[in-house]
This record gives sequence, structure tokens and C-alpha cells, in this order.
Amino acid sequence: MKFLRLIYQNLWRNKLRSLLTSAGTMVLVFVVTLVWSILGFLANATTEKPANIKAIVSERWRIPSMMPYAYAASLKEGAATEPEHVKPTDNMTWTFYGGSLDPKKRTFENIVFAFCLEPKKLLTMMDGLDELPPDSSERKSLEVAVAKLEKNRQGILLGQQRAETLKKKVGDRFIIHSFNYKEIDLEVEVLGILPTRRYDQSAAMNIDYLLGAIDSYKQKHNGKAHDMAAKTMNLVWLRVPDTKSFTQVAAQIEASPQYAMPAVKVQTASAGISTFLEAYADLLWGMRWLLAPAILVTLAIVIANAISISVRERQTEFAVLKVLGFRPGQIMVLVLGEALLIGIVSGIVSAGGSWFVVNQLAGGIPFPIAFFPKFMIPADAWWWGLAVGGGTAFLGSFIPSWTACRVKVSEVFARVG
Amino acid sequence: MSAEICVKVDHVSKSFRRGSESIEVLSGLSLQVPRGEYLGLMGPSGSGKTTLLNLIAGLDQPTAGSVWVGDTEISHLSESQLAAWRTRNLGFVFQFYHLLPVLTAYANVELPLLLLPLSAAQRKQQVLTALDIVGLSDRLHHRPGQLSGGQCQRVGIARAIVTDPAIIVADEPTGDLDAKSAEEILNLLCELRTQLKKTIVMVTHDPRAASRADRLLHLEKGKLVEQVEN
Ligand SMILES: Nc1ncnc2c1ncn2[C@@H]1O[C@H](COP(=O)(O)OP(=O)(O)OP(=O)(O)O)[C@@H](O)[C@H]1O
Ligand SMILES: [Mg+2]
Repeated sequence: MKFLRLIYQNLWRNKLRSLLTSAGTMVLVFVVTLVWSILGFLANATTEKPANIKAIVSERWRIPSMMPYAYAASLKEGAATEPEHVKPTDNMTWTFYGGSLDPKKRTFENIVFAFCLEPKKLLTMMDGLDELPPDSSERKSLEVAVAKLEKNRQGILLGQQRAETLKKKVGDRFIIHSFNYKEIDLEVEVLGILPTRRYDQSAAMNIDYLLGAIDSYKQKHNGKAHDMAAKTMNLVWLRVPDTKSFTQVAAQIEASPQYAMPAVKVQTASAGISTFLEAYADLLWGMRWLLAPAILVTLAIVIANAISISVRERQTEFAVLKVLGFRPGQIMVLVLGEALLIGIVSGIVSAGGSWFVVNQLAGGIPFPIAFFPKFMIPADAWWWGLAVGGGTAFLGSFIPSWTACRVKVSEVFARVG
Repeated sequence: MSAEICVKVDHVSKSFRRGSESIEVLSGLSLQVPRGEYLGLMGPSGSGKTTLLNLIAGLDQPTAGSVWVGDTEISHLSESQLAAWRTRNLGFVFQFYHLLPVLTAYANVELPLLLLPLSAAQRKQQVLTALDIVGLSDRLHHRPGQLSGGQCQRVGIARAIVTDPAIIVADEPTGDLDAKSAEEILNLLCELRTQLKKTIVMVTHDPRAASRADRLLHLEKGKLVEQVEN
């Protein structure tokens, strides 16, 4: 397009103004990108994937949920007792064990939160880990670590960043002084590092180690069981193939008389997250319907302001272009083009830049609610940048460009004699 | 209409509305410019010279009467028809040059060509020819800020002739120049007339500029008052 060079050169007429407009656009597009990433991430987490549903079994009336481990065996079968009952295809139990390396002082630098589980479930049930491609190096190293953890019950797998924060590496041994299992302090050996950014701050241990420690507590205390002995299972996850089997398994479990004290409930993972997020409903509503639109409007105004100043300064120039034979539509294209060029380029640079910095350099943004430790900017952000930058530039420059193309030559050059 | 007549202004009136009152700037003015003539227009400030030029250039519509340029009645064309017509048929030279400050001399002259279906090579050739005619082949990549007033006006003239229009209108083309530069610009306009056979209509306050024209018309209070053949 022959006009493109003209448009580009016009932007350099007032470098400072163009740069400020561009900087403003970048900041606002960056914020929009973050807001939309968060909203999209949460929407995705609360939307059911139709196949392969994870059902979450938890205590019905108490938060946090603490069920007896004795429930595990029958829950894993989906409480199936009759031949026509549906059984889950896979399962895992969750036990949260937290503690610090220093018994007297807890700081961010010395605490560990571990999921105690059957090690092999890391490979089939953990979100993100169950989808690692079979021949990827991450998958291979996870398989090795899991095999070690099955053999050595006293092992622990640490997330990358947690290991760095604790200054521990594979082979190190240390004692965890627990704060949710009083007097159950476990000595562990680091057997491996958990792959994927998602588990950077997590840790995983063999559930048998904790259960064994609680048993020996009873022996050492003359048959008096530990306070937490009947509360060692926080959650059970069951994998079911589709919504129909989910409904059936949920009905089987909730109708079963085995789970009376305490009673249990069954939810899908996303329903669980939805319930959790209800507490934040107002905040999320505000982000979606107030913050994001307010930013878009501000952005359009920033651009409208810059473009209308520049149009006003250039009345004569537009009149000259008309004398040369530029049609109103072509003048409009020149003005809109300036705004679009600045908006689209800044938008893409900003959104693409945040994608790059957040995902590639920072490795995600910590988002400390619900289960998810970090979230990423989707690759769609490149399109958001283009659309937000271009769309707001178009809206903001529409009226100024209309003014520019309506310039009346005879009035601009009229001199009152 | 006769092929010998290039511009024909026929009983044209033009009034402007200012608030509630209407001011008649041109009243029933008629004028014919033969092809290849160099016509000078003089008159006191506010007499309507620029208004008349604007009508000939199709930048404004008469309130009454008609304006013909060549075989086209331009007072009947729509705004976008006029725009396309101007690109091919008319070159405009301004008193204050009105070059685009961000563009080089070359790019300024190229502007009208962007509106025509020409290849980059054809455009380049026409721009170089036009700049050669005005004697600025060695200033292609200078911006207006780096050129003298006389040089800027030459770029303005190159821009006016680059599409090879039949008629050139100039509104006080020497009004902003010193005597020497003005002389050079007037020589250049004469060359355009004698060598390229352009029809030129020039408004001027400058008697020396006026003396170069083939014919001189005086405009007073919207009417032509006196005709002088040089
Ligand atoms: N677009 C317009 N709207 C209102 N009045 C106008 C307009 N254009 C011109 N006029 C008026 O018409 C009259 C003639 O103006 P014009 O510019 O044609 O004069 P001129 O002969 O070119 O004067 P000068 O020698 O100062 O350039 C002036 O009184 C001017 O104010
Ligand atoms: Mg004038």
C-alpha cells in the first residue's frame, strides 16, 4: 500500500507524542492482557471437560475436609457393591502434610507442604503430569523418581523452586517438623525434582510413611491413638469416563451407609473450584465488567486525544492534500491508519511482550487462590494485543479522522480581507 | 465549446454566509482563458481573487453560473469526481508552498502520483522529470526545512506539474519570496507556458509578476473592471 509509508512518516512528525501514546497503549494493553488471562484461566478451570472427569470426594460438612483413611478402599471402587454399579477407572487419595525444617521458627524459606499419596498416582492422576508425552524427558525422570519413592518410603520429591528455596538437592536428608500432625516429625531424603512449573512450590511423599508414623505413635503412647489418626485423608479423586458415569458414581457414594461419620460429598473438580471461587464472585465480576471495559475506554480516549490534537494541527495539510486530489475517504484512511498503526504495533508488542516475559522468563504468575499455584498468559494474547490495540485505535480515531476528511478547503485558505 | 478555450467562467456568483448575513464575493462574473494563455489576476485584498481561483480549481461550487475547464463542466461534479479530476487536470501553486514538512522534496512531488494507477518506476521517472524542470535534481532528499523559500516554491511547482495537467493555477506564488527568488519563479512559470504549453492563471499583488502575464485582469468588489493586454 502506497499510503503506508506516508502514514509511518507522519507518526515521526511528533516523536514524543507518538511515543507517549504508544507507551500508554502498552501499559493499558498489558493490564487488559493480565485481566483476561486470569478470567480465561478461571473460566477454563471451572468448565467441564466432557470426557475424563475427575470426581472429588470430600467431607460433606467440614472444611478442611478430613476423612478416615479407612474410607479409601471402598471409595476407590466408587462404593460399588452390586454388579451393575459403575466403578471409577482410576483414583488417588490426597493427604496434606505441612511442616518446617526449623522446629522453633517457621518462615517462607523453611516450610514444606507435601501431598502424601501413592507414588504411582503422580503419573496417572495429577493434573498436568498425567498429560506429559510418554517419551518426554520430564516424563522419564518422573518415572524414575516415582520408582524410587515406591521403594524408599522415606523419600520426598520437591518442586524446583521449593528445592532451591530450601537449598536442598537430590540426596539431602532433613527432618520436617509438622504443624498439622503434631509430634509426627518425619525425616526425609530428597529423591527427585517434580517436573513442570505448576508444581514448583509443591512436594510429594509416600502416604505409607505418614500412616506408618501414626501407627508407631500409638504403640509408643500405650495404645493411645494420635489426634489425627482418623483424619488422614483430605480428598479422594476418582476418574470417570463421562458425565453419566460421574452421576452414577456420585449417587452410589452418597447413598452408601458406609460413610456416615463423617458424611461425604462428591463434586467434579470444576464444580469444586466454582464453589471456591464464589467467594470471589464480586471481584471477578468487577474485573470482567468494570475494570476491563474501563481500561478499553481509557485507551480509546488516550488515542482519541493524541489523534485529535494532531488532526487540529494539520488542518491546512489536509486541505492541501484535498487540493492535490486526495478524496475524503483517502484522508480518512491516512488518519485512521496512523492510529491503527500505533495501536496495533503497541498492542502486539505489549501483549506479546507480556506473554514472553510472564511465560518464558518468569515462568508464570503466582496466583494464590484455589489449587493452582501459577497461571500463564495464553498464546491468544498476541491476538488480544492486535484486537485491543487496533479496535480502540479505530474507535478513538474515528471522529478525529472524520473531522479531518470534512476539512473545507475554501475555508482553510480563506483570509478575511 | 471551442478547443481553444481552456477555462470558461460563465455568469458566476459566489456568496458566503457569515452568521445570518450573506456576503456576495463574486457577482455575475464571466471570463474566458484561451489554451496556453498566461493570465494575471490583480485586485485589492478581499476582492475575491482566491475565491475565483478556488472555483476554477473545483475546490468550491459557485452559488450561480457555471465553470468549464476544457470539456468538463466542473461546477456540476461531485466532491470525489472533482478530486479525481484535479489530480489529472490541474496543478495548484500556493503562496506559502504548503509542502508536507515530514516528506522529502522527492516524496512531496510524488504525492499526487500516489493517486494514479502508476508503477513505482513510472512514478519515479515522472518525479525526477518534474524536479529536473524546476532545477532541483540535486535536492531530492532534502526536507522543506532544509530548503530556501525559492527552492520550496520550486518543489511546489514540481508537485503542481508532476501529473502533467493542462492548467496551472497559482495564488500569489511570489508573495513570500525576495526579489531574486521571485524573478526565478516567474521565469520558471514563463517556461512552463512557452515550452510545455500550460495554461496559467496567476493571482498576484506584485506589479513585476503581473507584467510577465499575457493578459491582466483586475478584480474589484467581485467584478472584473479593466482589461490590459501586454
Ligand atoms: N469560506 C469562506 N467563508 C466566508 N467568507 C469567505 C470565505 N472565503 C472567502 N471569504 C470572504 O470572501 C472575501 C474574498 O476573499 P478572497 O480570499 O477571495 O480574497 P482575495 O482577493 O484572495 O484577498 P487577498 O488578496 O487578501 O488574498 C473576503 O471578504 C473573505 O472574508
Ligand atoms: Mg487570496
